[in-house]
Amino acid sequence: MTADEAADLIEAIASRQDRTAFASLFRHYAPRVKAFLMRGGADAESAQEIAQEAMIMVWRKAASFDRGRASAATWIYTIARNKRIDLLRRAGRPAIGVEDWLTIFAPDEGSADKSVAAGQTYTRVKELMEGLSADQLTVIRKAFFEDKTHTAIAEELRLPLGTVKSRIRLALGRLREALEKDEEEK
Amino acid sequence: MSRHPAPDELLLDYAAGVLPEGPALAVSLHVALDPAARQTVDRLRAVGGALLEEEAGPDLGESALAGVMARLDGVAVEPKAPPSARRPGFEWAPTSLMPYLGAKDWKRAFGGFEQIEIGLHGDTHRVSLLRLQPGKGLPVHRHVANEYTIVLQGGYTDNTGNYGVGDFAVGPGAQEHEPIADPGEPCIALIVVEKPIVLTGVWGRWLNPLLRWGWM
Repeated sequence: MTADEAADLIEAIASRQDRTAFASLFRHYAPRVKAFLMRGGADAESAQEIAQEAMIMVWRKAASFDRGRASAATWIYTIARNKRIDLLRRAGRPAIGVEDWLTIFAPDEGSADKSVAAGQTYTRVKELMEGLSADQLTVIRKAFFEDKTHTAIAEELRLPLGTVKSRIRLALGRLREALEKDEEEK
Repeated sequence: MSRHPAPDELLLDYAAGVLPEGPALAVSLHVALDPAARQTVDRLRAVGGALLEEEAGPDLGESALAGVMARLDGVAVEPKAPPSARRPGFEWAPTSLMPYLGAKDWKRAFGGFEQIEIGLHGDTHRVSLLRLQPGKGLPVHRHVANEYTIVLQGGYTDNTGNYGVGDFAVGPGAQEHEPIADPGEPCIALIVVEKPIVLTGVWGRWLNPLLRWGWM
């Protein structure tokens, strides 16, 4: 499914409560969300439950999706991740509702820089990820998939905090450099 | 681009959703006010999306889909939320701060500044808004833990530099500092502290017990 096709499906839900569109999105994303949650340590049963809850949230919130700000995958990732935080309520984690998080994550829409379409950024980021070193990818994956802060990652990998920070900076530096070069070439 | 951006590793933790609520709120305000930080976070979220897309897993099964489809009858597609109304006197507050602000108002604090305590869902961090009149300073203090400051109006200067709207400061660690508000508009900043700060000035020492008990 391309980024545009997925965005069309979410917009179809928003404009006419299109159940067929929802079913297609569910078939594509629910297994991915479930796999992502299991990577983060959830058992199969709760991963299944959270994935279903996340997809229902996709239905409810479809009208707030804006393809100029995030690709469908990025938006669904945000919902799934917050649903996980919401439902698992891990020890020491504040129980913030998904909706509060969506607000925190979509600050001041009006001022958003839309010069580069989110879908394009997303496609390019996907390509660029392949160019990152294994070390850099490990740190980024742990942050996104295993719900770990950079401090927790350093502890787990038994690396000095400075090393983890510099891997993050290098990885982001590479993404940033490549994306900026793309923009200059346009 | 702001002169004092938030460090990349903090933006990554924010985009991945692993920051505790207090620091996440501070970074959300930075992201709202600093286009470069917003761009970085949008890109990082795209990384999250790309990682999700790469995942592969077995189908949840047609019965799971049927179950979810049946539930949709009772779930409305919500209309797009209207932009939240601006509160008079609080026009400087970015949207993500509004639910935390509620109807709270400034209160005078010891030391010649004004303050609004921000409540969080958890208690790992203390968050407050501070308003300092131009030329006024905060008592000299030193930090015992991580502190994040995000400037929302005006600016301030301390021994580490000058900070304006959108700038993000990570507490100077064990170093003492004494921020002074710049001339012009009053300086408004959100401060997130992991643990109570320790006042080191002559009279500040007297306030430490109060701080420790969360009275200030």
